[in-house]
Amino acid sequence: MNQVDLVDFIDWSGVECLNQNSAHSIANALKQGYREDDGLNVESDADEQLLVYIPFLQVVKLHSLAVKGPEEEGPKTVKLYSNREHMGFSNVNDFPPSDTVEFSAENIQAGKPVVLKYVKFQNVRSVTIFIEDNQSGGDVTKVQKIAFFGTTVETTDMKGLKKIEDH
Amino acid sequence: MVLEATMICIDNSEWMRNGDYTPSRFQAQADAVNLICGAKTQSNPENTVGILTMAGKGVRVLTTPTTDLGKLLACMHGTGLEIGGELNIASAIQIAQLALKHRQNKNQRQRIIVFAGSPIKYDKKMLESIGKKLKKSSVSLDIVDFGEEDEGKPEKLEALLTAVNNNDSSHIVHIPPGPNALSDVLISTPVFTGDGEGGSGFVAAGPAAGGDYDFGVDPNIDPELALALRVSMEEERARQEAAAKRAAEEASSQNQGDEQSSKLQDTTMADTTGASAAVATDAAEPMSEVDALLQQAIALSMQTPASDSAVRDTDMSEANNEDQDLAAALQMSMQEGEKDSSGQMDMSEVLEDQAFVSSVLASLPGVDPNDPSVKDLLASLHGKSESSDQKKDEEKAAKDDEK
Repeated sequence: MNQVDLVDFIDWSGVECLNQNSAHSIANALKQGYREDDGLNVESDADEQLLVYIPFLQVVKLHSLAVKGPEEEGPKTVKLYSNREHMGFSNVNDFPPSDTVEFSAENIQAGKPVVLKYVKFQNVRSVTIFIEDNQSGGDVTKVQKIAFFGTTVETTDMKGLKKIEDH
Repeated sequence: MVLEATMICIDNSEWMRNGDYTPSRFQAQADAVNLICGAKTQSNPENTVGILTMAGKGVRVLTTPTTDLGKLLACMHGTGLEIGGELNIASAIQIAQLALKHRQNKNQRQRIIVFAGSPIKYDKKMLESIGKKLKKSSVSLDIVDFGEEDEGKPEKLEALLTAVNNNDSSHIVHIPPGPNALSDVLISTPVFTGDGEGGSGFVAAGPAAGGDYDFGVDPNIDPELALALRVSMEEERARQEAAAKRAAEEASSQNQGDEQSSKLQDTTMADTTGASAAVATDAAEPMSEVDALLQQAIALSMQTPASDSAVRDTDMSEANNEDQDLAAALQMSMQEGEKDSSGQMDMSEVLEDQAFVSSVLASLPGVDPNDPSVKDLLASLHGKSESSDQKKDEEKAAKDDEK
């Protein structure tokens, strides 16, 4: 099964990010083009935590996650919650995350995809990313790129569709 | 028209018995709260408002966010409102935040309005950390600082505001005691107006109502009357403009022989047309607002060309009474408008005659009629004889090219 970059399946109208600095918004890390540019990041505002909610246009399976950030301000502990809507900082600790990823300074700089617990992400309508802290422990967390790889549950094989013949 | 859920935190501590705001601090606060509830629910029918008390025996939520204005007003007048105890701002804000978190419509933005009438016993640090938590959860905060003038209170509240403020969505208002009612002062602040146009619309009951509207009628109270007044105003304005245009046309028919010079003037006027039209309209508007009925009567009674010029003269004399500068501008614009519209009138007929046009162009200093660009322009002009404005622009462009 080919893992595909799921950026095309993100429902942009529902994407939310709590505690982001309004000048450096989540689009900088998620959208195609913006996320490739290392100069454009999403930055945290009041403190170092970020809470990102990403709904998808259809049900997907998540295979891996790529996060890229600068060596010092890049994220360290990242918790993922699948199919939980409208979480806030107060209830992130109320239920266990579907998966937790700890990034080291090297792999956050490289931004290579990290494989997730595939079995936990078989039926994902939305994912919430809780960035708990950053590499240096400072007040501002910066993320240059967030990308999900996986497959869609219902896929249409275009080659399989036959043209309807006119009578 | 922002979709918002608001929690209003009212101060019902002992300090609110004071009478430095009429009739008492508590009553003034209650009036202000009623006004806010009304404004919020009116600016967007899906807005919800909740109320909690900060002092008394403890922080108590009187109503969770609801759209029901009756319930909110009843709360403020209810028997459960005891005055006493001390303000507990920290837990009040946290409880308000919790109430907002459990709002039914998650698409609503979150806002807390705090009425701080008594001294604040918390220190700045604590308030700042509360502010930061609000900012993290994207809750906006409005603070009404009134009543007790405690040392350090304004600074503490300002510190809280800066901690919360994100893109100017949070505000603070300091209201010293005085003859003005608390609600009146609040109405003009961003606490009301920053939340959309709903605030000013609701102020029908307030004393400033008459001055705010064009016709002295609140559109919210009597929309049909306000609409009728507005429509009749537009009709009068249109009639005046038609009358002015007719006057210009009559005058232009006398200038038929002087087409060439009018063309030249038309070219130079092309640049100033926009300005003169603007000036004419601007000049017309203050006049019409002041003496609308009078001019309407004049326009109606005078339908002949001679009278039209009289109308213009009347216009100008009335303007003279008002403002010398305005009159001067009016005269200038009338003359320019005259020539301009005469040019407009002539162009459509005149341009039909190509031979004439070429001879005119030849006589003009900078234009060579044999120039291919001019010829192309003439051909296209004949093709499109709809709008004189278009022709004017093209002509102007040709002349500019030549220059």
